[in-house]
Amino acid sequence: MKNIKIIVLLILFPLTLFVLSLTIGSTQHVGLVELFQRMCLQFGLIQDQHLLADGSLNTILWQVRLPRVLLTFMVGAALASSGGVLQAIFRNPIVDPFTLGISSGSAFGAALAMLFPIMSVNLSAFIFGVCAVGLTYMVSYSGARTSIVGMVLSGMVISGVFTALLTLLQYLSDPYKLQAIVQWTMGNLHTASWSKVYNAIGPISVGLLVIVLYRWKLNLLSLGDQEALAIGVNPRIIKLILIGVATMITASAVAAVGVISLFGLIIPHISRMIFGPNNNISVWANISIGGSFLLLIDDFSRAVMPFEIPIGVFTMIVGAPLFIYLMRRNAMNWNS
Amino acid sequence: MIPTISTQELSFSYGNDVVLRDVNVSFPKGKLSIILGRNGSGKSTLFNVIAGLEKRYDGQIFIGDVERKKIKVGNSSELRLGFLNQFHQMTFPYPVFDVVLTGRASFSRFSPSKADHEAVHAILKKFDLEHLKDKPYTELSGGERQLILLCRVLVQQPDVLMLDEPTNHLDLNYQMAVLRTAKELVQEGTTVLCVMHDPNLAFMFGDQFYLMRDQSVLDINGLEREEVKNLLEETYELPLLSLENQGKWMFTPMLNEHQ
Repeated sequence: MKNIKIIVLLILFPLTLFVLSLTIGSTQHVGLVELFQRMCLQFGLIQDQHLLADGSLNTILWQVRLPRVLLTFMVGAALASSGGVLQAIFRNPIVDPFTLGISSGSAFGAALAMLFPIMSVNLSAFIFGVCAVGLTYMVSYSGARTSIVGMVLSGMVISGVFTALLTLLQYLSDPYKLQAIVQWTMGNLHTASWSKVYNAIGPISVGLLVIVLYRWKLNLLSLGDQEALAIGVNPRIIKLILIGVATMITASAVAAVGVISLFGLIIPHISRMIFGPNNNISVWANISIGGSFLLLIDDFSRAVMPFEIPIGVFTMIVGAPLFIYLMRRNAMNWNS
Repeated sequence: MIPTISTQELSFSYGNDVVLRDVNVSFPKGKLSIILGRNGSGKSTLFNVIAGLEKRYDGQIFIGDVERKKIKVGNSSELRLGFLNQFHQMTFPYPVFDVVLTGRASFSRFSPSKADHEAVHAILKKFDLEHLKDKPYTELSGGERQLILLCRVLVQQPDVLMLDEPTNHLDLNYQMAVLRTAKELVQEGTTVLCVMHDPNLAFMFGDQFYLMRDQSVLDINGLEREEVKNLLEETYELPLLSLENQGKWMFTPMLNEHQ
């Protein structure tokens, strides 16, 4: 029973969604059969003059939809996995890359690199993402234990500082670049392109691989440092690796599509609701559900709405009530 | 007597508050050593310092023949030291089995093996706790939690096991179960170091006894019953009655100290 659930939800559902997402779009809906024919055509398996003649649809499929679907899935998987890892390591169900300030730090770093191209957008986003999470941790660290509420509050402050710096950049930049930055900070998937896919695919797949490898150790880390030492494991190195990796994939996602708020908070909760708290499974679930869910939201906005809602705006509106609900439910444990 | 854990001129203080002063003590290999003492006498501090949780001590601690500060956690060639201290709340409702399984984390680089799963089944069976296997840890009673955490520490098969008040929160049945297990482990060759509050349970199961007072550890082995009684009376500031019960010493408070 459990295996069926895993296969259906974690493998079949994302694959189906992936294919269906290619068929829909604002320009033209493509039937499954035609999609298959065009796929064969693309890989040179068949020759069909009639299909070749309609070159614009081919371009839409392979240059617009496919990179967008791929990028959306990767970004969703990255943000959800990053959120799951951070929640386990900080033993805190209400943190995610956004609440810890990583997203804002990365956004500032990426915008900085867009205005002053000294280094690559990805690298700059990563460096400032690390700065942000490091600052958040330092600010909230108080001797023996870091409190749940302290960490979220420091994350908000650090996030605010980087958002302010980002606003400053916007203020200083010329109108053309300003529009680009503003659109991008709201979280935009419609700018997806193959070059963005190529930039993001390396760091995100390496990062996800590391998280998958260490997925079981997340259970141990989420019990606390003392509980790891008690059974002869030094948690510090694994923690540093995993926080680094979570920051890296968040930074790549932010550099590619901008800030998607609270998405990394919502998905790990859905994964735990369906598959239980064991990270051995929920790490896979975060990748699968995270990718599918963002794809679903994007499909919705591409196919149903007459205009596109920026994805970051959408997730913030959906995520905020959930955050409040979790905050109230956890209120009892907040002193420790 | 081969010491497994020994300290030399060990001192520790929290700021200006001296908790341990020039402690020289050694706990022998393969014995159940019990440390008694008042609340706040520094038992838990000594425990934390030896366990490696507090690193800013003066003097030396030897585990086997290696100084504590030179021990790298996770290095499999050295003595495996496991400890169980007073636990706090857990954030995520992991099932009991998964909690105990984390005790095997030092055995594998990434994911647990089949042997690890079997070890967990074995330890749960030993304590008759298999029925709790799938229950969320957060829904257990205090006593059950304590036992599960004990299982978690034991499943790594430590050479040295340190327990800080392991009978805390447990009913009489579980108290006996825990101490019997400690005793069994000792017979299998494990060195067990145990901080306790109840001298009667201590003398029922222990091999070696130590009394924590005046920022130091007093070795009370080889003393007569009356001498031990006098020391306990001084320490707990209570008149005591010493008894012999089934060949073991018992110390119980006098009801009326003027009689």
